[in-house]
Amino acid sequence: MDIFLQQLINGLTIGSIYALVALGYTMVYGVLKLINFAHGDLVAFSAYIGLVVMMQLSGAISSSAVIILLTFIVTMIIIAAAGVTLERIAYRPLRSAPRLSAVVSALGASLVIENGIMLIWGPRPKIFPADIVPSINWNIGGVYIGLLQLLVLVISFTLMFILYFFVNRTKLGTAMRASAIDQDAARLMGINVNKIIMTTFIIGSALGAVGGLFIGMYYRGIYFNMGWIYGLNAFVAAIIGGIGNIPGAMLGGLLLGVFNALISGYLSSSWALALTYVLLIVIMIFRPTGILGERVAEKV
Amino acid sequence: MNKKYLYYGLFFIVLIVLPFFLSSRWVSVAITFLIYSTVALSQDIVLGRAGMFNMGHALFFGLGAYSTAVLNTVYGVPILLTIPVAIILPLVFGILLAAPIVHLRGDYLLVTTIGFNIVFTQALKNNIFGITGGPNGIFGIDVPKIFGYSFSSQTSIYFMAFGLLLLTLFIIRNLETSKAGRALHYLNEDSLASECIGINTRFYRLFAFGLSAAIAGLAGVVFAVQFSAVSPEAFNFLQSVLFFTIVLVGGPSSIEGVLLGTFFMFVLPEIFRQFAEARYLIFGIAMILIMIWRPKGIWPAKFGRIPKYMFKE
Repeated sequence: MDIFLQQLINGLTIGSIYALVALGYTMVYGVLKLINFAHGDLVAFSAYIGLVVMMQLSGAISSSAVIILLTFIVTMIIIAAAGVTLERIAYRPLRSAPRLSAVVSALGASLVIENGIMLIWGPRPKIFPADIVPSINWNIGGVYIGLLQLLVLVISFTLMFILYFFVNRTKLGTAMRASAIDQDAARLMGINVNKIIMTTFIIGSALGAVGGLFIGMYYRGIYFNMGWIYGLNAFVAAIIGGIGNIPGAMLGGLLLGVFNALISGYLSSSWALALTYVLLIVIMIFRPTGILGERVAEKV
Repeated sequence: MNKKYLYYGLFFIVLIVLPFFLSSRWVSVAITFLIYSTVALSQDIVLGRAGMFNMGHALFFGLGAYSTAVLNTVYGVPILLTIPVAIILPLVFGILLAAPIVHLRGDYLLVTTIGFNIVFTQALKNNIFGITGGPNGIFGIDVPKIFGYSFSSQTSIYFMAFGLLLLTLFIIRNLETSKAGRALHYLNEDSLASECIGINTRFYRLFAFGLSAAIAGLAGVVFAVQFSAVSPEAFNFLQSVLFFTIVLVGGPSSIEGVLLGTFFMFVLPEIFRQFAEARYLIFGIAMILIMIWRPKGIWPAKFGRIPKYMFKE
């Protein structure tokens, strides 16, 4: 039972990171119907930017809470700007092109970011400082939970709650949902769809940046092509939940994280990746549009 | 039409004399070019002609290569006798794997095929059944022999790969002008409408998967022979992304486009190897620019002779 609870805590931590990254995929997909393959690399990029910012700040400020807060804010702003630039350069000119052309453009953008990171910071992994979050562990009935894990869980859930509120309760969020359903109709209702798409990229990239920073702080080792594997896992989470569906991405991320952790804990970690994708395939066969995805009738 | 045959003739002549002018490193690149072209052409049957977003094609390529490698090194079967297995196994797998998922909408199909490919490479890495050699793969595959002649020199392997490409071009040319090819074209354009005029879309979708998997499996045999080794990394998901991109950058359902795409995506990076680190950065930029300027690929397909007045624009 202890192993189960421990892996559950670990799984929820990793799962909430996946969920943050998955939100970026799912929101862009919702509005543009585009798989943004470059999102994973933006996440990797954010880990590198965060590391640089953190190093710069740790010389100037002594309080680690302030350093972390500033690092998050600065990184989120930079990555949001990068996301908007990406949309502007690589996706906007292809809006009326065949759908797969935009996918290739996304793959190209992913190559650019990945190799850009390698050219700037080199091919060798970088290590996040260990003491940035004090390593305090609590022992609750035989189950260990660290301060960092708690921080990841609390911040992720808060952000997801804010996002859910934003999408469902604000005017901009309503406009976003309207654009996701039908862009032309939304435009006729006076919604500036370009602005909505930009907002989507800003929010998605900023959430991805938080995910990237958590990956850096939690796993500590970051490398230039890590965007692929984390991005792909998060993307799978988005698909499992039902792509385009925001609560679906959250659920998918948590489910994937817990599943992964339980497999690693009980079976073997070398099969965890393979079984994750078996889970994906099984879900796709029995629920072809994901767990929370709506069953859309084929349009005639 | 006659002009087209002339160009193809010239292209084949160039390919025939090519290995006698190249250094051994470049002959090796040329062999891989021929193999990748074949795999990309087979990928095009599913992606370009049938319009199904398959991003796991390296799975079938790898299945063919591994069938040959395992049968040859573990059971000592001569290479040529492994060929039927290396065709039939991917064919059966292609149909079995595709059967439950062909009805999925575009992007869901794409993700599921990625899933198949990752499960495949992970299984190979974990040395499934104890015969795949784990992460290092299998070494020391025999040289194919036929009537005492052994394909040991690089040039002979080159012509083996050339024969493979010719065979594939022949199959695809026949497919284009056959009932099956037209059916695929219809269901790509509009699957509902094609069903209404009596095309069994499910059958033809599986047909496309089976045919393309079989060709990719055969290409896998030549790949295993070329390197006399196979490893999981050669068939991982990024390799599938490469084949996917080749087809879309070149031009879906256009033979010339796919060949050009293979040249662009595989041979050019080899030529610019000296710029080792920066080349993929430039490459990514080039992919974006090509898609912006030519969204239908470098050499898009032209279908039939539709009179100009029938187009809207």
